[in-house]
Amino acid sequence: MLRLFPLLLLLLSAIVPARGERLGQAGLDFSISPRTPEQLIAFYSARGFAPEAMEVITASCFLTVGILNRGSRVVWLEPARWRFETLDGRPVRRIDRDEWEARFERLAVPLGQRATFGWTQLPDSRDLQPGEPVGGNVTLEAPAGPFRLIARFPTESDRSGPPIELTVDGLVCPGSRP
Amino acid sequence: MRGLWLVLLCAAMAVHAAEPPPGLMRLDGRPAPALVLPDLDGRTVDLATLRGRWVMVHFWASWCGPCRREMPTLVSVLHTHPPERLTLLLVNTAENEDDVFAFLASVAPELSTLLDRDGQVTARWQPRGLPSTFLVDPEGRLRYLALGGRDWSAPAYRAFLRGLTTP
Repeated sequence: MLRLFPLLLLLLSAIVPARGERLGQAGLDFSISPRTPEQLIAFYSARGFAPEAMEVITASCFLTVGILNRGSRVVWLEPARWRFETLDGRPVRRIDRDEWEARFERLAVPLGQRATFGWTQLPDSRDLQPGEPVGGNVTLEAPAGPFRLIARFPTESDRSGPPIELTVDGLVCPGSRP
Repeated sequence: MRGLWLVLLCAAMAVHAAEPPPGLMRLDGRPAPALVLPDLDGRTVDLATLRGRWVMVHFWASWCGPCRREMPTLVSVLHTHPPERLTLLLVNTAENEDDVFAFLASVAPELSTLLDRDGQVTARWQPRGLPSTFLVDPEGRLRYLALGGRDWSAPAYRAFLRGLTTP
């Protein structure tokens, strides 16, 4: 059970925000929470990831995001269009699925572990239906200091509705050094 | 043979009649992807052999918090629907037998699961996340998808499943 707890914590945090904004009017619950290297090691090592893979994983910044569409319209999740930037406006690079796949290919990470990793990531694109939750990690090249997220969510099935926009300031990757 | 046609006809009528409760999304009826996987005892289960009945295909993993909460409520599906009308197939995604066995023993000892060891079958089904539950009709077509986890023992879901599976 002691081994299981940190594993569950990684995903449960999508439901219980460590740092979050609730956009009640827009009908969207949103939480975002940086992961510590210790949490990443506890989770992925327990799923069999080798030390070489863990080195690559813990060198990156993992943010666990939880979203619930409480509204009555479709909300589009497209993290590739989100902007992460340092406080002076420099972009923070997101590491996408293809890049992780290439890294894991080089490290000969087994397919099962790659699948698990994939399911712990936020989907690349999702038309969130009314009442639908989604959770997972967004990964970044760890910036040295605090940074912000500027996220935009198109609405309605054909993206024709007014977008929901939010900014989260003061994010910090626990493993990064200023 | 005539009985089978009657079952299929009733199922088709049920698909059109049943209005899904919140959180269940209607699908377009495309054929379900292949699903041939071993269970915890090493026996191979093939979805294609289950034609003529509804099948709930539930994808899960032990590290997923919502899966842990939803799993015990799936037991009620076993208890309230005879398997010749509704069969529950759990598919564990990319975990080893020890972890799966320990999880089920502590959370839902009555349930068994299929093992998708490398996660490739799950990937072909393209669930929207874990957990995900597909309802496959007696003709092997995808009819509904549950968005995230839920309490399957709640009256709305029980009534919906009863409506689908009762001739």
